Amino acid sequence: MNNNNLERQDEEVLQLLKDYPKPTADAGFYDRALARATHEGSRRQRNRWVMTGFGSAVAAGLVLWFVGTVFLASPDLPQPEASIPGITMTLEEPRTVNLVFASTKALDMATLTVTLPAGIELAGFPGQREITWQTSLVEGKNFLPLKLIALSSAGGEVLARLEHDDRDRTFRLRVDVS
Amino acid sequence: MSSEANKQAFEALVQPHFDRLYRLAFRLTGRKTEAEDLFQELLIKAFGKLDDLVAIDEPGSWLSRVMYNLFIDEQRRFARRRMHTVEEGFLPVGGIEGFAGTESPERDQHRLEQLNQLDVALKQLSDDHRLIVLLHDTEGYKLEEIHTLMGIPVGTVKSRLHRARARLREILVQSGTFS
Repeated sequence: MNNNNLERQDEEVLQLLKDYPKPTADAGFYDRALARATHEGSRRQRNRWVMTGFGSAVAAGLVLWFVGTVFLASPDLPQPEASIPGITMTLEEPRTVNLVFASTKALDMATLTVTLPAGIELAGFPGQREITWQTSLVEGKNFLPLKLIALSSAGGEVLARLEHDDRDRTFRLRVDVS
Repeated sequence: MSSEANKQAFEALVQPHFDRLYRLAFRLTGRKTEAEDLFQELLIKAFGKLDDLVAIDEPGSWLSRVMYNLFIDEQRRFARRRMHTVEEGFLPVGGIEGFAGTESPERDQHRLEQLNQLDVALKQLSDDHRLIVLLHDTEGYKLEEIHTLMGIPVGTVKSRLHRARARLREILVQSGTFS
């Protein structure tokens, strides 16, 4: 290929990159973000100690889903209905649920399976009702953000099942959609 | 300062940079919902550091850098906790929905096709190369600004930019977008 051709193609690449669409925020997003930041920022300053150890929490709609202490020696007893944590989501508005496992010891190659009810999706995994990770847990608190999106108003229960060796525990989160 | 005065001071400092920061968030994450979360997290963090922010000469650069670090931290945190994930192929592909066209529909259609091919080509670059080429050639960042943002030497930014453009050209030629 001659140099003139290469130069012309380089210019075309540059021109295409210049024309590549620039994303714009939805109307009202900046105002909402500002309002949440000043509200949340003030709240965090008041309650800073509460968040210590969980890193930077993700913005609006944050929920900490404490699935409790994880150590798989005990049998998987059913959670009493009254102890099941719950959140209310808005239709089609993503909400980040932070899954926090407090493990009494390090666990290598544990398998975490999140099962979703119909109408609730994990962002990035459209149409999938069950998503499985292999992961390692450190001793202490382990943090995993899950971005959920409600696509119908049915709601239901999100299950997180943690398996290690031949033991497992399942935790439940009730999701209502308004 | 009173709470209301704090809010007003914060707004005055950050608002002029909103569009640029939002676009940076989008270029970093590649998805609107995640860009919105990152933008939001930045504002929350920045509001908590209002005292530092008022003393900074170039709040725009500072905010960009904080956003970049938040993004990298979040990526590392997530990567540590998922050793293996489900197929990345399930991730949604955005695609180009439209662009500011000209008065010639045929030429616009051709351009749209080329931009879609560029979109596909960009996804084949490494994260670093894609970010650098988009920041420099699409968003108009200077090499020095990218160096400050990403914390890599200007020479490295320059060489990655050249490699990214060359790779894009190669992919676009292979796909028949360029003759």
